[in-house]
Amino acid sequence: MNFFNTEVNQISESKDFQVSSASLKEVRAFTRDVFKKISLPQEQKDELVLAIAEAAQNIVKHAYKDVEETKDKMQIKISLKNDQLEIGFFDKGKPVVPENIQHRKLDDIKPGGLGTFFIKQIMDEAIFKKNQKGWVNHLVLTKTI
Amino acid sequence: MTYKITEEGNISTVFLDGEIDMDVTEKAKEIILPLVEAGKEVHLNLKDVSYMDSSGISVLIESHQKALEKGTKVIVKEVSKSVLKVIMMAKLEQILNLG
Repeated sequence: MNFFNTEVNQISESKDFQVSSASLKEVRAFTRDVFKKISLPQEQKDELVLAIAEAAQNIVKHAYKDVEETKDKMQIKISLKNDQLEIGFFDKGKPVVPENIQHRKLDDIKPGGLGTFFIKQIMDEAIFKKNQKGWVNHLVLTKTI
Repeated sequence: MTYKITEEGNISTVFLDGEIDMDVTEKAKEIILPLVEAGKEVHLNLKDVSYMDSSGISVLIESHQKALEKGTKVIVKEVSKSVLKVIMMAKLEQILNLG
């Protein structure tokens, strides 16, 4: 269920997406729609869209690694309270071991491994929370905007 | 993502259009890498690419590295502001040939 408070500094919206690379376009569209309601420089909105899309991509690429096709959904929840932006990602893929998540060193030029780096560059914090009912992984990205 | 290719001598210019993400990475590679494999100098015109994520950046890196192997080059041209920002975030502006 989506809920939208019309106050500019308070938002809580969520949406489910099919776990598929084809959904990433929809993830960006949803994110852009939510950010239209927030007063922020466009450049910062673009960065946040990138961070959210990268986190969604990580679900498809890593939590569902070696899964050809799935009917599973992932959920993205964007919340803003005053200047605190929180984005939650929920999925039912393989359990993530946070200690194993590392971006590649930037001077090791090779394809891949940049998504997590972008997320860390853009957001203040990225943490996995435990014990989410009905979900396996719950990533929370936060940023003071 | 859509594309157009023009040829002039040994230079193939690939005009990419739209958003480049994980969903179109394979398609982008299928367009670019055969040209590089054929020893062409490839100009990637990104003026109409409005969004690129880490998967798109990987295509640029792979194309660049393949070109080095083949003794040719890939030049990234007319990069839109939003894509340039992502390239710079990855600290690749000195690595990729930005023309």
